[in-house]
Amino acid sequence: MSTSDENAHLEKVAETTGKIPLVALAGAPNSGKTTLFNRLTGLRQKVANYPGVTVEKHIGELRSNGQVVADLVDLPGIHGFSARTLDEKITKDVLEGHVEGIRKPDAIVMVTDSTRLESQLMLVEQILELNLPTLLVLNMSDELQERGGSVNAEALAERLGIRVVWTNGRTGEGTEKIMAYISEIKSGNSTSATVSGRLKRSTHPKKLPVLERFSERKKAVKEVVSEAKFVPPEPSATSGYLDSLVLHRIWGPIIFFTVVLFVFQSIFTWAAPLMDGIELLIETSGVWLSRVLPDTWLKSLLVNGIWAGVGSVVVFLPQILILFLFIGILEDSGYMARAAVIADRLMYRIGLQGKAFLPLLSGYACAVPAILSARTIEDDRDRLATIFVTPFMTCSARLPVYVLLIAAFIPNEPFLGTFLNQRAGVLILLYALGIVAAIMTAFILKRTLLKAEPSAFIMELPPYRLPSLQTLGLRLLDRSRIFLLRVGKIIFSVTIILWILTQFPRTEFGPPDIEESALGQIGHIIEPAIEPLGFDWRIGIGLITSLAAREVIVGTLGTIYGIETADEESLDLQSALQESLSFPAAIGLLVFFAFALQCMATVATVRRETGGWKWASFQFFYMLALGYFGALVAFNIF
Amino acid sequence: MEPGETAIKDTSNDLRLGQVQLHQEVELISIDLPDDQAEPFFERGFLPGCRICPVRSSPSGDPIVNIDGSQMAIRRETANCLCVRTLSDL
Repeated sequence: MSTSDENAHLEKVAETTGKIPLVALAGAPNSGKTTLFNRLTGLRQKVANYPGVTVEKHIGELRSNGQVVADLVDLPGIHGFSARTLDEKITKDVLEGHVEGIRKPDAIVMVTDSTRLESQLMLVEQILELNLPTLLVLNMSDELQERGGSVNAEALAERLGIRVVWTNGRTGEGTEKIMAYISEIKSGNSTSATVSGRLKRSTHPKKLPVLERFSERKKAVKEVVSEAKFVPPEPSATSGYLDSLVLHRIWGPIIFFTVVLFVFQSIFTWAAPLMDGIELLIETSGVWLSRVLPDTWLKSLLVNGIWAGVGSVVVFLPQILILFLFIGILEDSGYMARAAVIADRLMYRIGLQGKAFLPLLSGYACAVPAILSARTIEDDRDRLATIFVTPFMTCSARLPVYVLLIAAFIPNEPFLGTFLNQRAGVLILLYALGIVAAIMTAFILKRTLLKAEPSAFIMELPPYRLPSLQTLGLRLLDRSRIFLLRVGKIIFSVTIILWILTQFPRTEFGPPDIEESALGQIGHIIEPAIEPLGFDWRIGIGLITSLAAREVIVGTLGTIYGIETADEESLDLQSALQESLSFPAAIGLLVFFAFALQCMATVATVRRETGGWKWASFQFFYMLALGYFGALVAFNIF
Repeated sequence: MEPGETAIKDTSNDLRLGQVQLHQEVELISIDLPDDQAEPFFERGFLPGCRICPVRSSPSGDPIVNIDGSQMAIRRETANCLCVRTLSDL
């Protein structure tokens, strides 16, 4: 089994030493693979990226009696190895040992949804061709039985020449069998587990054109399942009943809108008190730090730079967590697929597709994880268009800016009777503005730069399942980690850079006045450009600092106007703004923030996801131009 | 047909999946799409000879079909690229 090629790969060390075996979990999407991975590894897992690509690498440790038994890697769910999508290509490369930073797995655990065995086994032939010790897992055993299906696992094992075990991902039953199998795998050249899996075929696979290849494979799989006496289960009655409601001509869209509204409402009702709590914490600790530390530049760096920077990132966690919790529930329960179907027709008309629904919805929390979730869109152009317009969704960071300006300039008076007041009305309009901009941009993009033949759309609707709390929790941890590390890092570093710009050139008394500092000078330099919008150099500085993250402008304006501990609710800051901004200019500023991409973290993410600076910079300047002209128009018509 | 003879396919009169009534099981003949768009279908089991049965329509009229025990939602336009025949034709 050993080839010189394999030996070279054995030299590559994964996260730990070469003595611990690496086992890969592979399988189709919706097979319960990740739930099993989470059961096996628990919190002992981490997420990184495969080098040079945007696919996430999930690695975890399997422990038994406190000892590390094996490293596990949860590969992306795939339907085949065609390398048409990045997920498929990476999975194949990892299994063949061609990926840097992760050595060739010593064994494969292939997880299948036993209720759909015939279609899920399409992958098994290609897995067996890899000639690695393989374990076939028949997951969802309870569902198979409940719905009247069955299969002879022993016959299946014999026919394929590999071990087969039953599991129930929901209860965890059978996980110990997987652990037992993995314990037998030794790192390196071990062949103690059966390896000679074989799927008999009459013709040789690689030479055939696409369709023939699949047809041959299908024939072979059909033989296997019939020998294993597979009885397909009856369709799930519960899922059918739920779908008749969820996809009903009238009830479907109603349920859809209710769900979306509910998810939004959760941001405003539940996140708000939590955010207030965090802000209070940051503020009081900042004040304490300020008192305790001696008055040096270090103190300024710590309190005004670092601590404020950390605070501005952490304060968003409640919103992000709550939103992603609900999205996670929708995804795992199976509803998200139905939502994508309902949304598809509308999305299609504006140039996107149903699967864009998830990134766009997630964008209301934060564009960074939202853009990452666009990976599920297989069509390149659709995906690019979705990534391009996602930042128009009114993210959490825009809210402090909106709240500040609305409180300062919009009277707290009723609008449509007592039902809606003017302030809420303006807020809703701003949200709508973002949506309109997104729709128009997507429409134009798909007709010009990203023009393509209409793409074929197919969406698998998995049976409805109760989400596993563990999977939900772990995914939440994952999303927060992405946010804190990626977004946080960038906000943080840009905040420090900006702080540095406020510290120079130094006067004999220490740091310069804000107007004399490097930052202030930059504000003066751009003033002519923003004067037509009714902005002065102070707002100019705010626009620059908010490049780090939109909400930073609030703190910056506080500093500029000499207001301590300014936030969007500070009355002092509001009055200071009323003096330096006219009403039309304030509206213009709101419009600017609705459109402009004031978020380096988003730019960085887009750059990663699109593999270069071309689209990221195009997006940045396009949104900046839109913001500028939007503000110009607003300034002139109000 | 004699063994060895191949039929010349005229797909213009074939039944398309989008035209099939609910709960009527049909068999796939061919997919009228370029390879890279057809592959996701092949991967999910849409191969000549497989049985497909529309089970419902989405609110916008896109068919949702049962195939190999899985449920798939397909855009109307895409469904019209799938040539099928009703089982009674066999």
